[in-house]
Amino acid sequence: MDDIDAMFSDLLGEMDLLTQSLGVEDVRPPSPKKEVNLSVGFTDLNESLLELEDNDLDALMADLMADLDATEKLAAEKKAAAKDPHPTLENLHLPSPDHASVPAPPLPPAHRASSAENEEQAKADKIKLALEKLKEAKVKKLVVKVEMTNGSSKTLMVDERQTVRDVLDNLFEKTHCDCNVDWCLYETNPELQTERGFEDHENLVEPLSAWTRDSENKVLFREQEDKYAVFKNPQNFYLWKKDKKALKDMKDKDKELLLEENFCGSSIIVPDLEGALYLKEDGKKSWKQRYFLLRASGIYYVPKGKTKTSRDLVSLVNFDNVNVYYAKEYKAKYKAPTDFCFILKHPQIQKESQYIKYLCCDDHRAMTLWVTGIRVAKYGIALYENYKTAVKRSSASSSWTDRINSTQSTPSPTPKAKAANGHPLPPPPLMDVLPPPPPDPVMPPPPPLPNKGGLPPPPPPSSVTKNRGGALPPAPVEDFPPPPPLDDGELPPDFMPPPPPAAGVGFYLHGGEALPPPPPDPVGLPLAPPPPGPPPPPPPPPPVGAPAPRPVLPAKREGPAPPKRTTPGLSAPSGGDFMSELMVAMQKKRVQQ
Amino acid sequence: MAVWDLSVMVEELGPEAPALKVSVTSDLHVGGVILKIVQKTDIKKDWSDHALWWEQKQQWLLKPAWTLDKCGVHADARLCFTPQHKPLRLGLPNGATVSLRACFSSPVFRSIMGICRLLNIRHPEELSLLRPAEEKKKKKDTAQEELYDLTGVPLSAGLGAVVTLSDGMPAHFAESPEAEAVYKMLSVSQPAPAPETINKLYRPTSVVEKAQVNSRWLDSSRSLLQQGVQENSKLLLRFKYFSFYDLVPKVDVVRLTQLYEQARWAVLLEEIECTEEEMMLFAALQYHIGKVSLTEALVTPSPAMDDLDFALQCLEVKMDGESSGVDMLESMTAPQLHDYLKIFRPKRLTLKGYKQFWFTFKDMSISYFKSKEESFREPIQQMNLKGCEVTPDVSVANQKFCIKLLIPEPDGMNEVCLRCENEQQYSNWMAACRLASKGKTLADSSYPSEVQSIRSFLAMQRSVPGSNDAQTDESINTHSLVSPRYQKKYKAKQLTPRILESYQNVAQLSLTDAVQRFLQIWQALPDFGVSYFVVRFKGCRKDEVLGIANNRLIRIDLGVGDVVKTWRYNTMKQWNVNWDIRQVAIEFNGNVNIAFSCLTADCKIVHEYIGGYIFMSTRGKEPGETLNEELFHKLTGGHEAL
Repeated sequence: MDDIDAMFSDLLGEMDLLTQSLGVEDVRPPSPKKEVNLSVGFTDLNESLLELEDNDLDALMADLMADLDATEKLAAEKKAAAKDPHPTLENLHLPSPDHASVPAPPLPPAHRASSAENEEQAKADKIKLALEKLKEAKVKKLVVKVEMTNGSSKTLMVDERQTVRDVLDNLFEKTHCDCNVDWCLYETNPELQTERGFEDHENLVEPLSAWTRDSENKVLFREQEDKYAVFKNPQNFYLWKKDKKALKDMKDKDKELLLEENFCGSSIIVPDLEGALYLKEDGKKSWKQRYFLLRASGIYYVPKGKTKTSRDLVSLVNFDNVNVYYAKEYKAKYKAPTDFCFILKHPQIQKESQYIKYLCCDDHRAMTLWVTGIRVAKYGIALYENYKTAVKRSSASSSWTDRINSTQSTPSPTPKAKAANGHPLPPPPLMDVLPPPPPDPVMPPPPPLPNKGGLPPPPPPSSVTKNRGGALPPAPVEDFPPPPPLDDGELPPDFMPPPPPAAGVGFYLHGGEALPPPPPDPVGLPLAPPPPGPPPPPPPPPPVGAPAPRPVLPAKREGPAPPKRTTPGLSAPSGGDFMSELMVAMQKKRVQQ
Repeated sequence: MAVWDLSVMVEELGPEAPALKVSVTSDLHVGGVILKIVQKTDIKKDWSDHALWWEQKQQWLLKPAWTLDKCGVHADARLCFTPQHKPLRLGLPNGATVSLRACFSSPVFRSIMGICRLLNIRHPEELSLLRPAEEKKKKKDTAQEELYDLTGVPLSAGLGAVVTLSDGMPAHFAESPEAEAVYKMLSVSQPAPAPETINKLYRPTSVVEKAQVNSRWLDSSRSLLQQGVQENSKLLLRFKYFSFYDLVPKVDVVRLTQLYEQARWAVLLEEIECTEEEMMLFAALQYHIGKVSLTEALVTPSPAMDDLDFALQCLEVKMDGESSGVDMLESMTAPQLHDYLKIFRPKRLTLKGYKQFWFTFKDMSISYFKSKEESFREPIQQMNLKGCEVTPDVSVANQKFCIKLLIPEPDGMNEVCLRCENEQQYSNWMAACRLASKGKTLADSSYPSEVQSIRSFLAMQRSVPGSNDAQTDESINTHSLVSPRYQKKYKAKQLTPRILESYQNVAQLSLTDAVQRFLQIWQALPDFGVSYFVVRFKGCRKDEVLGIANNRLIRIDLGVGDVVKTWRYNTMKQWNVNWDIRQVAIEFNGNVNIAFSCLTADCKIVHEYIGGYIFMSTRGKEPGETLNEELFHKLTGGHEAL
């Protein structure tokens, strides 16, 4: 019995650990899975619970507990918050910081209330609590299996309010990866041979809900250089007509200027792409070449015998209802002229259909241009906001990983006692602030790092990255320089239009004394690391055996990927049922142990 | 020193009166001359706005401390003692004409600052004045344009903040009902013009014609009178530099409205090209803006009102908090729609046509049953409308009310057509479908307004066919929302459903959001913000077009209209104007040099455009930064200013 209790408290500790949102230090010894690449499949709850690995279960359990706790606390808080000007249900779900300090199973608020004189009030509270729970139970949750690039996988619970950003942050926590901006969640559809990176602001549950029951689709966690390439090297997209050398030599301040012009005005400017693409005619097998133009309002083509003036253009599709997907190996599948294809389809469509627009480009560069251009047209400013958030996240965590590494280097079998009872749902509030180390009674605070370069950060993903570098040519990745201390990465304050000049009849744009003061730096950009291959912060130690070059196609993987039967399907558990099932599953585990 | 007679015309003495002779010496300063003139006229009035204008030299004598000698005035000079502020008829972007007192003696740049201050438009540096196009002599000038009069409004001399009233209106408009009417005209978008009006107006058909307009800009560094603008003549006020800085709806009511009007006319008159889809969206937004303007102010700012609203909200919340959970339960049960409708699925190649079923709309999905009595059983089919495409197929004349649904499913799109009996039923179901397609349920607060907007659109369609009798607010001619090209291409009844289709995406926007959306789409057009000039490049034999935008210069082939080359300002090292041969020379990084002469406009205008855009890009980020007038003149002035 004692054993079980001990185990349970251990478990609780573990749970807390897992649910800590960003900013709480994790002192477990480095996880045995060293290479971090995730992939996600998600599974029918009832079937798959038993298959889950221990820590998966724990994580799930923790998620759930936190949910329920939060719900109860909410109800309690609601009363207290009656004076709060806007206690809508929505923001009640945001945990206030003091949540963390509340011990795990909080006093049911009903108790407090019933001790009050007014019984009516208590009753009303109870009803409210019940309603809150009802509402909470209505929130759709999915168990998602994310596949890493090494073939292993992590399982997590995602609820419908969580954005991809939240899930990524969650995965960063779990994998100790370098958190750079290229990490993304990727959806693959083997049936259509397509793949698409989810945008950070999307809700993850929604696109996953479109998967069919027998779907073999997967969610992968991996680095994708093209995710934010348009912000790292805007010239490749906005000045694509210029020659390659000029683009490569582009100065940082000119890049900044491009970003400002196209993303900081009152209207987002879409790259003015145009060119010949092949279009697979509706329902037909042939590919026909047409001249296409990208505009903010959609993709257009020039009809036969017409010029490319605006009034003659024919709209192929607008982006309101469709997403853009990379298509793989369409030469074989659809007799496409090249393998550089992309498709536009409604996210619900999972199989071949006449409602899908199939397009084929001459080369890889054109394909990247078009797919990225379409994303800019479709998502607009949201994409830029995502990028800025990602940059903040990565720079915050890079100094953070430094510290973690140092902590980890001190061998310490410290018990994992953490008193953080996080609520997993809302995005962690401290994205931009370096979180203070958690109160840790046993461990001394991590010793200050005297020399940041002291811990030689082996560039572990380099092999991986290089592989992909082959697949994604723009922005070749060179050998990683030792990571520069990020704090020192201040940009010179001179990325502004050259101040105009003064004397004489001529107007000299550079140099001169009587210049107007250059405008201050654009707000919100100072963190952006502009070099093409962002030096990764110290990443986790490299895999023991250097990973063999991996095939580019993520779907086929070698190695010890546990061939788990994924039975994707939806589960919208009604709270109670799900809990009891989970408990059963956990008990089974215990018995086995 | 010798005393001589200076002859000065004084308007106040009457047009017929002979020139006043004032005895002066050459070392008398201008201030002294003015004093003598005033004494001699023997008229008691406020002369403070008056100054001396030297007709022959086209020059103001504005420095009171300068002596006549220094000014170069001798006995042969004929001076004119005249007010510096004179009435001017100003054509606004919205087409209205307002009469106001503008400064005729300061550089136009500063005159515009004064005008914009009066009209309550921030960032006057983005606007400028241009001469109206020479109108072809009409046989009879009957149509007397409506004139709004603001000449009575005193111009505040200082540069202090304009005092605004609680509703955002500057205090100087509150002085008379007439002035208030002017403010309404300035800050509320104008009703859609009749299609004939659009047709009658001049439309540029080629890039060369588009270049013509740019020859009419006034010189910012010289005064109005110097440029031959007479009292009471007409000028147009337009946004010249397409780089709109710091647009804040709360304080930029007039600016936003006028910008919208300028954009709308640019679209209607085909000054900027757009695709058919974009035109339909512009039309839908115009329709929406016109409709909402009747009921909603662009901004209802007043902090006091905000507070009140806030207080009311709090109160509501409190009340809510005290109500029992029963209410909450009620609010959580979603409303539903039930009806007999007819369904038709084109995909199944049957000839059966429409078949009637009992339909239920709940949350975001439609289910149907054989009959009402069967409705408690499993439905024949259930369709989730989230993310679907909804298109109307309606003809009021034929009493056809169909809703076409394209419902995404894993293996494609499911095409379904629902036929309703009447307008009422159609509006309810259509509104539900639209909300569901956007992921909203019937319980959403926008449902009633959605139903209402569908009805009013149906009403519009009903009234279009030639019936002019029932011109209510809601019935407007859809032809007045599109440019003449589409007026010709489509009949009104074809156009209405197209616009309606776009309208469903914007129907829920507030007035401010709709105006901003319009501007965003306008700014996202590929040709946005490019001002054209026909030029001759050095070493070339043919005419070409130079486009000037806020970040780049574009060389365009005149015949084909293709972009030949683009130069960005940030690669520009210097530019020079050779005023003798009137040639503009520009040097870019990497030893790229270009030079051209301007054919359709004076090279000063081109020079000012380039300098102006450079100036716009130097504007700082801090709000409340004062306008650096001196820098503007340095960049745009040319040799006169230096």
